[in-house]
Amino acid sequence: MVEFKNVSVTYSSGVDALSNINLKINDGDFAFVVGSNGAGKSTLIKLILKEIDATEGTVIANGYNLRKIRRSKISKLRRTIGVVFQDFRLIPTMTVYENIAFVLRVIDAPKKYIKTRVPYVLELVGLSDKMKAYPEQLSGGEQQRVALARALVNDPKLIIADEPTGNIDPELSYDIVELLKCINECGTTILMVTHEHNLVRYFGGRVINLDGGQVVFDEEVGGSNESK
Amino acid sequence: MRVSSVGYLIKQGASSVWKNRMMSFASFCILLVSLMLVGFSVLAGLNMSAIVSGIEDKNEIVVILYDGISEEQTDSLLVQLNSLSNVSEVKFYSREEAWASIVEDMSEEEKSFMQYAENDNPLPDTYRVKVSDLELMEITTSQIKTFGGVESVQSPTSFADALVSIRNIVALISSAVILALIIVCLVIISNTTRTSVHARRKEINIMKYVGATNTFIRVPFFIEGMIIGIVAAAGALLLTRFAYNELYSVLNDQLSLINVIGTKSLYSFDSIALPVTVCYLGAGTFIGALGTTISTGKYLKV
Repeated sequence: MVEFKNVSVTYSSGVDALSNINLKINDGDFAFVVGSNGAGKSTLIKLILKEIDATEGTVIANGYNLRKIRRSKISKLRRTIGVVFQDFRLIPTMTVYENIAFVLRVIDAPKKYIKTRVPYVLELVGLSDKMKAYPEQLSGGEQQRVALARALVNDPKLIIADEPTGNIDPELSYDIVELLKCINECGTTILMVTHEHNLVRYFGGRVINLDGGQVVFDEEVGGSNESK
Repeated sequence: MRVSSVGYLIKQGASSVWKNRMMSFASFCILLVSLMLVGFSVLAGLNMSAIVSGIEDKNEIVVILYDGISEEQTDSLLVQLNSLSNVSEVKFYSREEAWASIVEDMSEEEKSFMQYAENDNPLPDTYRVKVSDLELMEITTSQIKTFGGVESVQSPTSFADALVSIRNIVALISSAVILALIIVCLVIISNTTRTSVHARRKEINIMKYVGATNTFIRVPFFIEGMIIGIVAAAGALLLTRFAYNELYSVLNDQLSLINVIGTKSLYSFDSIALPVTVCYLGAGTFIGALGTTISTGKYLKV
């Protein structure tokens, strides 16, 4: 669960990125966050990941009050969140297997568990045959699927997908959202930031529209795929 | 943390050396050259001090005894000399020994002539006194002059003063050079490690996002820096040993130089191999590990 209570963010440059936001994303939700450049989408994500602090208000993510959280606990908070970035952010010197296993090593998972869990998530995203490949040997779509596998390997409560389809072919975008929908069906909360209105229209669901640092729209919309 | 996790982090650090081989090589070269520069400066300073000490050792006060002095008086003078705090060594040099020493350096013809004059040996008995502090040589000389049985005292006080000045200048210059080199090397090394870590800032960033603790991120960098440091230190040690031995044999072949400074004034590499090895490996490991760990810190604040 993620909750924003009267949250405002003003950067040191004086720019008001978010103004008095009130928002609640419940466990198991799938929400699209849309909005133009500078609307405050990235700031929203940075707040959840405790990359920045709110100037005012309170953010609660997966049970952690981010205003009061100790620095030493930030790594623990992040272990409850899977993140998928537009630019994939895979470690180039590690193979696909190592990139994913790394997340489990961070949480001190047993070796045996890592050996079974990593191939399992790779199978989920359809990349079992790419285990030994390095990121540079994969296409954009494949890299994003590795990033997705990395995000879900430690079974996080929440997955944040920041423009996950921004760097891949449009037809593959649907596959990625489809995968996120599947993960969501297993109970994981998904927060997907996107520019692509076609995707939102196609899949439907909860849509949060930010504009000028404020929530201007937050409702469930029907998807065109549902009507088909 | 599990043992397997510790093993994993060490393995990660070791494999990163190869995976980031270009930056590893740059760090290796900088460390190697830096260690060699500082190491050689320290060795040069050490030898310069030893050379000056060697020359200092050759300076002794010659105490000339009265002719016909009794054995008791000679012994009592020895006790008096040894009681002086600045005296480190006293040797009795009899008139017979002094005569033999002079004759030894003569040609055969001169030797055969001198044997007729042996019974009229005009040389006196002497004490050769070595002092521990050359700066106090003049005071010690004055004290000896007051002792009974002493006819006269010869001491190279002006030469001793010159040596003290040389020793002080050598110590000052070598310390300044070593200090300057250490500072320059630290700046270069820190810039190299910073560049090396900067190239991998995204990697660190990703680790932070997946919830890795700072220790978990730092350990592989620490191990990597340590490995590069050890390898660079070993390389620098081998090159230093080779260059030092070459220089040592060239200097030892200079007989005129050796006559002045003495054969034992220069350290052979083998005689100082252990402390030099420990210092090189210690410095290499410490600088390598610390450099990367400090440089990593900047990118952990995410």
